[in-house]
Amino acid sequence: MDTAAIQTHGLTRRFGALTAVDDVTFSVAPGQFFGFLGPNGAGKSTTIKMLTGLLEPTAGTVEILGQPFGAGALELKRQIGVVPEGMALLGRLTATEYLHFVGRMYGLDRETTNQRTQELLEFMQLANENKKLVTDFSHGMQKKLALAAAVIHGPKVLFLDEPFEGVDAIAAGMLKAMLQGMIHRGATIFLTTHVLEIVERLCSHVAIISQGRLVANGSLEALRAGVASTLPGAEGEQRLTLEQIFLSIVGGQQESAQELTWLT
Amino acid sequence: MADLGGANAGGAGMIGLGGGVLGRLAVAQYGALARLRWRMFSNGLRSNAGALELGARTVSYLIYGLMGLGLGSGMGFTTYFLVSGGKWRLLPILFWVLAFLWQAIPIMLASFQEQFDLGILLRFPVRFGSYMLLYLVFGLLDISTILGGLACLGIWIGVAAARPALLGWTTLSLAVFAVFNILLVRAVFAWIDRWLAQRKTREILGGLFMVGLLSLQLMNPALYQKRHQRHKGPEERAEQLREAETRYEPLLKQADAVQQWLPPGLAAQALRQGVERDSLGSLTSLDTLGLYALLVGGLLALRLKAEYRGENLGSAPARVKTGSGRVRAGAAAGYEEKAAGRSLVGSGPIAAVIEKDVRSLLRTLPLLYAIGAPLLLVLVFSGVFIKNGGQTPVFPLSLPICMVYAQLGFTQIFYNNLGTEGAGIQLYFLSPTPMRTVLLAKNLFHSFLFCVVALVAGVLACLRLGVPDPAVIAATAAWLLFALPCNLAAGNIFSLKMPYRVNPGRISRQRGSQANALLSLLVQLCVLAVGAAAFAACWFLDRMGLATPIFLALAVGAVFAWRRVLDNADGIAYRRRDALMATLMKTE
Repeated sequence: MDTAAIQTHGLTRRFGALTAVDDVTFSVAPGQFFGFLGPNGAGKSTTIKMLTGLLEPTAGTVEILGQPFGAGALELKRQIGVVPEGMALLGRLTATEYLHFVGRMYGLDRETTNQRTQELLEFMQLANENKKLVTDFSHGMQKKLALAAAVIHGPKVLFLDEPFEGVDAIAAGMLKAMLQGMIHRGATIFLTTHVLEIVERLCSHVAIISQGRLVANGSLEALRAGVASTLPGAEGEQRLTLEQIFLSIVGGQQESAQELTWLT
Repeated sequence: MADLGGANAGGAGMIGLGGGVLGRLAVAQYGALARLRWRMFSNGLRSNAGALELGARTVSYLIYGLMGLGLGSGMGFTTYFLVSGGKWRLLPILFWVLAFLWQAIPIMLASFQEQFDLGILLRFPVRFGSYMLLYLVFGLLDISTILGGLACLGIWIGVAAARPALLGWTTLSLAVFAVFNILLVRAVFAWIDRWLAQRKTREILGGLFMVGLLSLQLMNPALYQKRHQRHKGPEERAEQLREAETRYEPLLKQADAVQQWLPPGLAAQALRQGVERDSLGSLTSLDTLGLYALLVGGLLALRLKAEYRGENLGSAPARVKTGSGRVRAGAAAGYEEKAAGRSLVGSGPIAAVIEKDVRSLLRTLPLLYAIGAPLLLVLVFSGVFIKNGGQTPVFPLSLPICMVYAQLGFTQIFYNNLGTEGAGIQLYFLSPTPMRTVLLAKNLFHSFLFCVVALVAGVLACLRLGVPDPAVIAATAAWLLFALPCNLAAGNIFSLKMPYRVNPGRISRQRGSQANALLSLLVQLCVLAVGAAAFAACWFLDRMGLATPIFLALAVGAVFAWRRVLDNADGIAYRRRDALMATLMKTE
């Protein structure tokens, strides 16, 4: 049996009295495109921070590629790439300088770093922006650069926190193709996003977190079948969208918006 | 579900937009902002760091108060002697000194003060007048206003004691002069922030800064020459002075005529005209001073208006020349080669961090200033050691004292070495590079800068004051070898345990950390005290040669401590990574 790419056991994080992530256990197989969904404040970003070593769990364990994530997990860090919530950019550098810096921080030699930097900048359509500092980039351009930085060292596991936020449709299409290419070459991708259509198109497996607890986990088809079985008659027979599955599991309150009658 | 609509539908329940800067809406907004500040303050006390910050802030304000009292007393006594002695020609000098300090203090003490960025207000229906008013009101508790205000109070008391009849004019003059300075310092910083935000103006400003520094250094040979010309007898020198007075009198008169039309001169002139019972002249001077205040207020308003309209300095558009895709791609490739060719040392993470910091530094004027300022201080303050026109031998320990100035400029760089990383701090935790390596690279780079500045400062001091005894030079170098690792070790701990975010593109409106500033000052004072004690002991015993081995022994201990801190850096950073990221990525 293959070692799981990502494995958590009883992962918990408390901030004072608040339990942001509560006893979360799941496993992501190598080569999986895994969607991690949840409403705002459900604990997605906290989970991804714990998975990538940015935040210490209060309880529970994290294993990436079969290794625990501890203070000295330097070799493990070489195997993962991350687009974190804050993007980890350095505003006073140009895109080229930033990718150079990141490549060398991950231990790439100069020649490889130069070559990959150029290829990534061209792929991300940032090659013409070399006069600009990162701080002067638009939000979408910063996202693309953060993604380029996350993959420059060729990670085996990629963690993406809202990677498509602010990215234009053309670039988003290219990025999706790039991510799918990585999956075909054996990488594992852990994606959190609020854009359910993206998850539906890209991900084979989905987990849903709500109020810090994992409320669903499995392949998209399995979740679809599970939710459909709880719906009555014809409603259960139609092919459910991920949005319907998500709302059914998490519990949407769409009707409450109709109460705000003072909204014009 | 409660009905949120009904009678309150549409704009009902809202305060009208009318009423100006003192209207109902504006007053409600001031109240909301005051409550916000209070909540931010009281919420900050929930953590130990917040409580420490409060304690540090209290101590800071006590120190500012004491500094202000010192400055005010000095100004008061000087004013008293000038006014009671009728030395009106010298009074403008006092106002010029005050104006200079008012503008220079915010730069010199930038890391000691926290300022609230009002940019968060722009999403709300806040009038421009209210925005500007708040901008001015929130700045009233900054160091320059406190010190400047106390200095004005000193002048006021000095005049009151010497010529009570002048109090009316004095109050008016000082009030208008204070308003002018408050507006000027804000306008200057607002415009500098704007220029720093754009690449082109940033480079021009950086160029001017460098030219300024070079010019100051070129002044040295001239001063050196002058110093050596002064080896003459008292009569000869008196004659020389008379000659100089005669020669420069027309120039001084011209300078006096010009300065009378500038704000400090106008404030002093208003007082003099008050004594001469020239009410019309005094009013004219005050009116002109008021016009200056209006002018700088207008310049400030111009800048704030742009911010108010939504200009974001952090994302000021760069002026990029456009061209064909192929040409641009080619240019990018060329740039790539150029960037690769400019590497410093090797390709490892240490070199990567150093290269990154070099690039960031060259684009960060406030940091360049912090590094260059000690040279200015050495140049200016080394003059106090020249007595009797160079006839009396210079104080033998003047070189180490000059080196102290060189060290002070590095406080923020040593003690908050992660402060400019912003969101980039995440990268250090995500990459396989240990924090020990990152800090080591930063320490190496900062040590290099420090050594260069110390060397230049030493050369400047020697040119200005003469070459000291070799034993003093050796002891000074040994003391620096002790002080540097001490500061690096303490700086690494402070950088990990009480960092604060620095916006590298701004001189004003930084967040700052009083706790970091005060405690780092305390560490530096301890290092200085050890140095001073050893120097003083060796000097009194007339065994200056002993100082070098003492400092070298201390340096060995300091290096050991620095290595211990580096070895523990990963553990500290790992335990504090959440707080570090939260602090350095803070955007409000």
